[in-house]
Amino acid sequence: MTGVGWLAQAGVRMDIGLFEWLFDAGTWTGADGILSSLADTVRLCVAVVVVATLLAVPLAAALAHVGKGELAAPWFVNVGRAIPTFAVAGLLVPISLRWGYGFEPWPIFIALTLLAVPPIFLTTYTAVKGVDPVVVDAARGMGFSDRHVLLNVELALGLTVILTGVRVAAVQVVATEPIRAFLGGNGLGRYVRDGLGQNNDSLVLGGAILVAALALLTGLAFTALERLVMPRGVRRLGRGRDRRSGEDHEPDASARRAAQAVDPVGSLRTADSGLQ
Amino acid sequence: MTGVPAEATNPIIRWEYLVDEWDQIQTALVQHIELTLLAVALGLVVAAGLATVALRKRWTAGPITALSAFLYTIPSVALFAMLVPYTGVSRTTAVIPLVGYTLLVLITSILIGFRSVPPAVREAAEGMGLSPARRALTVELPLAVPYIVTGIRVAMVTTVGLVTVAAIVGQGGLGRLILDGLRRTFWTPMMVGASLSILLALTFDLVIWAIGRALTPWARAAHQSGKHGARAARAGRTRP
Repeated sequence: MTGVGWLAQAGVRMDIGLFEWLFDAGTWTGADGILSSLADTVRLCVAVVVVATLLAVPLAAALAHVGKGELAAPWFVNVGRAIPTFAVAGLLVPISLRWGYGFEPWPIFIALTLLAVPPIFLTTYTAVKGVDPVVVDAARGMGFSDRHVLLNVELALGLTVILTGVRVAAVQVVATEPIRAFLGGNGLGRYVRDGLGQNNDSLVLGGAILVAALALLTGLAFTALERLVMPRGVRRLGRGRDRRSGEDHEPDASARRAAQAVDPVGSLRTADSGLQ
Repeated sequence: MTGVPAEATNPIIRWEYLVDEWDQIQTALVQHIELTLLAVALGLVVAAGLATVALRKRWTAGPITALSAFLYTIPSVALFAMLVPYTGVSRTTAVIPLVGYTLLVLITSILIGFRSVPPAVREAAEGMGLSPARRALTVELPLAVPYIVTGIRVAMVTTVGLVTVAAIVGQGGLGRLILDGLRRTFWTPMMVGASLSILLALTFDLVIWAIGRALTPWARAAHQSGKHGARAARAGRTRP
């Protein structure tokens, strides 16, 4: 049993300085090193975001496509927000142990997935719902099948909005993952835990800086992805219609509002521009 | 590990614990509620101040939001931990990050609330000779209440979850039960702490929603007008 993880503490001198610890090659390599902890964290977070996306996007897209679940979407998001991840993971640990799956990684995996699903679900639902009915009618008139309309029109046009949901989810997941170190696991949060356990401020601060840096980088990476990759994709998929109608194929205002609901910063940006 | 009971014989709930340790559970619950209310109340004060600045001096809105958004992105484990070298294992160490995390949601909801006031309403109030301060408090604030209440709900629920994480710096109310249970592989306090914090989050959400509903009777009785509109609407709510 790998459990009782916090007893396995990285062997670090008590009087080590913050930068001495951060810039020592030995800190980064080895089984307890930063690189391997980082890989551990990234692996889990990627798995969570991928699974959450695979769960949320098809379900939300299908519901929005057939026009069901009008009430389910906001409810889903509110309940999702109300779930304290640490508590849920804690609740799952005894159950996981009882079933022989150990401390890790299922409890934290499930808890983080529950955290990630609501924002992705909401943005997908409203993005698909928000596609101009005229565009959908036009596609049907051209002989598009139901599946074709959903995949090549509704989802394609909603892609940028959906990606906003994935970004919000990913940042939340990366920012929350370090609690895993306090639930019998490791990952990048382990240095904070070990530092607190050993009363070693350098370790605590160093660990906190690493964890914060990863969360910030995740947000930046997704923002770059949104700006660079997605508009090109949407443009390519919408090119044929663009030429004829010259219309803006951005999902309409309601979809944008949904993206803002899960992304308060974005909503303020829009609120600003709306008034200027 | 010695002292860790064999998993098969380690019950998930020991009911005697609930009776024996009732005081401890109660203390944790009260501390959890106190920390949540304290953080959101302080957050509301700070957010109101910053939002006022942002509404008065337009150019400050960007930096203020950017700063609170930056705070919000910092992982909770990191923010609690970063303060330990300076404020030790104390209530202050728990409260500062908790307040920081409420700011983004609260400031945003206040700004959006005030900006949602139709210009015509603002102009009418101005035309009636209301001073800017009076206009803000008696005309714009009531209209912004639904947005602000939504912000407070989100802030409350988020804070309940984050307080459990504050257990890592020795605070954390119900979070301490979770952490202690985990340390001792004694599942009962853990189950109690976890389920109570989930229940607490849902309860706060419901309570604030109800308060918001009570504060804005006109939202459900827009057709009623005149001096007694609000009162009539409130009376009307009790009818089936």
